[in-house]
Amino acid sequence: MTATVTEDRQLVVTDAGAPTTAERRLRVHVETLERRLQKGDEQRRAMLHIMGDLNESNQRLAHQRKAMLHILADYERDRRRLANQTERLDHARRALLHILQDSHQDKLRLEASRKAMIHIMGDLRETTAAVERREQELRDKQEQLVQAGKLATLGELTTGVAHELNNPLNNIGLFVGNAVDLIELAVAEKGQIVRELRHAMQQVGKATEIISHLRTFGRAAPVSREPISLRQVIERALSLMGEQLRLRQIEVTVDLGTQELVVIGNAIQLEQVFINLLTNARDAVVDAPRRAICISGGVGAGAAVITFADTGTGIPPGLEQRIFDPFFTTKEVGKGTGLGLSITYGIIKEHGGTISVVSAPGAGATFLIDLPLAPAGPKEFPS
Amino acid sequence: MMARLSVLIVDDDAALLQALPQAVRLRMGGVTVETADSATAALDRIAARDYDAIVTDIKMPGMDGLALLAEIRTRRPDTPTLIITGHGENELVVHALRGGACDFIQKPIDRDYFVAALYRAIRAHVLNRRVKDRQAALACCADELERIVDGLERELGAPPGKGGP
Repeated sequence: MTATVTEDRQLVVTDAGAPTTAERRLRVHVETLERRLQKGDEQRRAMLHIMGDLNESNQRLAHQRKAMLHILADYERDRRRLANQTERLDHARRALLHILQDSHQDKLRLEASRKAMIHIMGDLRETTAAVERREQELRDKQEQLVQAGKLATLGELTTGVAHELNNPLNNIGLFVGNAVDLIELAVAEKGQIVRELRHAMQQVGKATEIISHLRTFGRAAPVSREPISLRQVIERALSLMGEQLRLRQIEVTVDLGTQELVVIGNAIQLEQVFINLLTNARDAVVDAPRRAICISGGVGAGAAVITFADTGTGIPPGLEQRIFDPFFTTKEVGKGTGLGLSITYGIIKEHGGTISVVSAPGAGATFLIDLPLAPAGPKEFPS
Repeated sequence: MMARLSVLIVDDDAALLQALPQAVRLRMGGVTVETADSATAALDRIAARDYDAIVTDIKMPGMDGLALLAEIRTRRPDTPTLIITGHGENELVVHALRGGACDFIQKPIDRDYFVAALYRAIRAHVLNRRVKDRQAALACCADELERIVDGLERELGAPPGKGGP
């Protein structure tokens, strides 16, 4: 442009002297102007384009601003939510702190409790040991009591047994005397003498049996447990008591059914149970119009059930609970130790069984014994 | 006379009923021994026969020796009864003797003692019976004599013209 202006002044300067030149210069000038106009027009058009572009940009910018506003709103919402969450988190944190504090206290208390517990456990262990010791003492005492009771029973049996022994001894004397006579007379054949001596031997066997039975019964044997037949136990008790019952004309019936009643237990102890019951029944029925003892047995609910009934005077009302107490007796002084039924009770309990009594006045007493049956298996018991 | 003597032994022990009669047979030849295993069986036998002696055990089931003794005393008051008792049963011995037993024998039985006691009892019974027989005979004689005396008195006391020869 500047160049153009400078050119124009030169032209003016040169054209001052010649009209044609001025005309040329004017033309040139017009041409220049026209070119300028054209250029300006081009520029205007370019400017319009640019304006359009600008407008477009502006619109786009407006859109973007609106979007930005949205984003800002979102951001603001998020920020508020975050603030809320922070607040909540803070609450939670504080709560957690409380909880932690509580938990710490709890832990302390727990520790104290644990220590107390350890003390208690120690005490408990000592107590348990003491209880075990007492139980052992009690068992020992019970065994001693059983032994004492056995000896007492033996004492009571002595009269009957003396009678029982006296009979075979007497018979032995007679048979042997007969044999001696036969030999001295020298008239008899050998067979007759031998027969007399054989009879004597049989009687010796009978006496030996009685004595060995008494010895077995009186022995303070270790309390072993084995499968035993209640039938055998009852028969043995009856063999010891039979003579006394027979002489008092007491009728004894035994009905144990067809099934063998086998329990795990101690034969001598259980025999004592039945000897005690037989002794009591013997004394109870002796003044009764009918003298009978009935022993019956069977199986019920996994247990052997023995019913032992007599036709005696029965148990006075109110004494049913006391008859199993040690040293409780209704017999005269010197007649009973008051130990029989208490020992019986102890033995039955040790065998895992129960014993109870029912008695209607004047109708005799009935003892009910339950003993758990031995688990089914090979039935071997010493005969 | 001895051949007809008979004894009854009563006991509930079968072995004793074998041994004791055998002892009696060996020691007292000629004595018949019968046995009964209970007092009731003994009473049946006593009803059927008059024994010269009865030996019974005192302790028996059912009727015992003392009761049997009392029965014998009423049914056969003359038959001597011996009681067998256990050793040391003095009270029972006294009871038996008061009840009319003629003797007692303690178990274990001493055969010599038993035989002697049984012999005494039988002898006493036999003698008693003989005494009674003699007494009866004497009483007969006395009656006879009485009658004769009466007859004589009548003859003597009556006027000679009225009486017989």
